[in-house]
Amino acid sequence: ALRFFQNFVGGKTLTKEDLDAPLNAMKDHLLRKNVALEAATDIIDNVSTSLIGVKTSSFQRVETIVRAAVEASIKRILTPTNSLDLLREIQQKKGKSKRPYVISIVGVNGVGKSTNLSKICFFLLQNKLSVLVAACDTFRSGAVEQLRSHVTNLSRLSEKDAGLVTLYEKGYGKDAANIAKEAVEYGQANGYDVVLIDTAGRRHNDQRLMSSLEKFGKLAQPDKILMVGEALVGSDSVLQARNFNEAFGTSRGLDGFIISKCDTVGDMIGTLISMELASWRPESASQHCSNISNTPLTPRPLASNQATDK
Amino acid sequence: MVLADLGKRLTSAVSNLTHSNVVDEKAFDAMIKEICSALIESDVNVKLVANLRKSIKSAVNLKELGPGVNRKRLIQKTVFDELVKLVDPHNEPFKPKKGRTNVIMFVGLQGSGKTTSCTKLARYYQARGFKACLVCADTFRAGAFDQLKQNATKAKIPYYGSYTETDPVKVSRDGVEKFKKERFDIIIVDTSGRHQQEKELFAEMMQIQQAVKPDQTIMVLDASIGQAAEAQSKAFKESADFGAIIITKTDGHAAGGGAISAVAATRTPIVFIGTGEHMLDFERFAPQPFISKLLGMGDLGGLVEH
Ligand SMILES: Nc1nc2c(ncn2[C@@H]2O[C@H](COP(=O)(O)OP(=O)(O)OP(=O)(O)O)[C@@H](O)[C@H]2O)c(=O)[nH]1
Ligand SMILES: Nc1nc2c(ncn2[C@@H]2O[C@H](COP(=O)(O)OP(=O)(O)OP(=O)(O)O)[C@@H](O)[C@H]2O)c(=O)[nH]1
Ligand SMILES: [Mg+2]
Ligand SMILES: [Mg+2]
Repeated sequence: ALRFFQNFVGGKTLTKEDLDAPLNAMKDHLLRKNVALEAATDIIDNVSTSLIGVKTSSFQRVETIVRAAVEASIKRILTPTNSLDLLREIQQKKGKSKRPYVISIVGVNGVGKSTNLSKICFFLLQNKLSVLVAACDTFRSGAVEQLRSHVTNLSRLSEKDAGLVTLYEKGYGKDAANIAKEAVEYGQANGYDVVLIDTAGRRHNDQRLMSSLEKFGKLAQPDKILMVGEALVGSDSVLQARNFNEAFGTSRGLDGFIISKCDTVGDMIGTLISMELASWRPESASQHCSNISNTPLTPRPLASNQATDK
Repeated sequence: MVLADLGKRLTSAVSNLTHSNVVDEKAFDAMIKEICSALIESDVNVKLVANLRKSIKSAVNLKELGPGVNRKRLIQKTVFDELVKLVDPHNEPFKPKKGRTNVIMFVGLQGSGKTTSCTKLARYYQARGFKACLVCADTFRAGAFDQLKQNATKAKIPYYGSYTETDPVKVSRDGVEKFKKERFDIIIVDTSGRHQQEKELFAEMMQIQQAVKPDQTIMVLDASIGQAAEAQSKAFKESADFGAIIITKTDGHAAGGGAISAVAATRTPIVFIGTGEHMLDFERFAPQPFISKLLGMGDLGGLVEH
C-alpha cells in the first residue's frame, strides 16, 4: 500500500527522482512502438526538462502526468505547421500561371513511391483535374510498365467523368532530371493541371544518387516534394528523413511525408514520429500529409489486374 | 555495411571495460547499458535486448565469481556468445543438388526485394553450373512480370509468367510443371508481397506453396526493418515455414538489427545478403565468420571453441 501511495504526488514539486522510473517506462513503450531511439530520447528528455520543478496541482499519479506530457509532445510533433490543401493550391496556381502544378515523389527503394503516386493521381482525377504522370525512374526493371499499368487502370476512371490522365515516358537509361523537365514543358504545352513525377528509389547514404536530386529539383522545379517513408522501417527513418530533406540544396527541403504500409505494422507506428522529428528545419518546418493519407492505405484498389471498380 | 557501426560500438564498450584496471559492478553496468543502447539503435527487438541484458548479467555474476576467474575474458566470451546466438540459429539451410529438380519459393513483405533477389539467386546458381529458371507468380503488382522478365533477360535466365492469368496458384503450378519437364535443376518462384494482417494473402501464399511443393522457401527481409520484424517473420514462419532468410539492401545505412531479430525469432539461418541493386550485388552469408569480422575481435572467435 505504501508503494502505491508513493506514486501519488499532490501539491509537490516534481524532482528528477520522481520522474526517472515513469519516464524510462514511457521510453521503453515508445521503442516497442518502433520510435527510433534518437527520437524517443529526444521526446523523453524534453518532457523531463519541462516537468522537473513543476508543482503538481492535486492528488495525481506521476505516471499520469508523464503520460499526458508525452502525449502533448507527440501531438505537437505531428501537427502540421503549414496546411497541405493540395486542391486549393492547385486551383490558386491555375489562376496565376500556365505552368502545371508539379509534384515529385522521392524515397528509398521499395517503400511505395510509385503506388502512392498512383493513389495521389486517383485523388486528383476524382477532383476532375488532368494529370500527366512522368516516369522518371529510368533504372529499375519494370518501373515504366508499372506506371503504365496504373495509368491504364486510372484512365478508365476518366471515362466516368473524371480528369484526364496520360503517361509521359522515355524508356530506360536516360537522365531523370532532363525527362522531368521535358515532362513539365509537355504538360504546360498541353494544358495539364498537374504533373506527377515518379523517381527511382535511392539509398539515402548513396552520395552520387542523392546529389543528383539537387539537379532534379532545379530542372523540375516541383511545387511539392513529397517523401515516401514506410512504417516498417526502424531507426533508419531518422537519417532517411534528414538526408532527403537536405538533398535538394540549402534553399529547398521536403514539403511533406507520406507514410506507407501503415497497414502492415499494427500499432507500431513510431516511424511517423521519428521522421517528423528528424526533418524539422527551423526555416521550413516539415509537415505530414494528412490529406493524402486519407486515401485508402491498402494498395489493392489500384492493383494492376483488378480494375478500379471497387 | 549492415551492423558495422554496431560492431564498433560493441567492441569499444567491451574493450573500455576490459582495459580498465578494476572490473567493478558500476563499470560492468555501464558496459551493459552501452551494449543495449547500441542494439536498440540497430533495431534489435526490444524484448530480445532485455533478455540479452539478463543473460549477460546472470552469466557474469561479479559477486559470485571466485578470485581465479579471468573476469574480462569471461565478459568478452559471454557477450560474443549471446550475439552469435542472435544470428546463428544452428540450423543448416537446404542445399540444392544437381541432376534433380530443386524448387525454391520466395516470400516476404511488400517491397522487401524478392523479385530482385530471386534473379540474383538464379544467376548465382547458373554461374555454378546449375540449370536455373524463374517463375513469376506475382499476378498482383503492376508491372511485376515485366520486372522479372527484364531482369531475367539481362541475366539470360529462362522465365515463365503470364500477362492475362490472374490466379497466381495456376501460373506457378503451370510454370513449375513446364520447367520440371524440361529438367531444370533450380526453379525459383517469385510471389507478390504480403503481410500478416491480410489473411487472404497468407491463404494464397499457402495455396501457391501446395501447388509448387518447394524444397526450400526463403523469406526476404529488408535490412532497414524495425520492430515489426519479429511479428511479421513469426507469422510467415507459422504459415509458410520458410527455411532460410535473405537480407537485402545491406548497402544501405541501416544496422540490420530488425532483420537479425527475425533470425532469432524464427531460428532460421540467413543464407545470402543483397548488397545493391545490380545483379551481382549478392553475397553468401555465414554467421560465425560474420560476427568475428564484425566485432573485430579476432581472438574472440577462437574463444567459442573453448
Ligand atoms: N501493404 C501495403 N503495401 C504497399 C503500400 N504502399 C505500397 N505497397 C506495396 O509495396 C511494394 C512496393 O511499392 P512501389 O510503389 O513499387 O514502391 P517504390 O518505392 O516505387 O519502389 P522502387 O521504385 O522499386 O524503389 C508494392 O508491392 C506495393 O503494392 C501500403 O500502403 N500498404
Ligand atoms: N540498394 C539496394 N536496393 C535493393 C536491393 N535489393 C532490392 N533492391 C531494390 O528494392 C526495391 C524493391 O525491390 P523488389 O525486388 O521489387 O521487391 P519485391 O519484394 O519484389 O517487391 P513486391 O513484389 O512489390 O513485394 C527495388 O528498387 C530494388 O532495386 C539491395 O540489395 N540493395
Ligand atoms: Mg517505383
Ligand atoms: Mg516483386
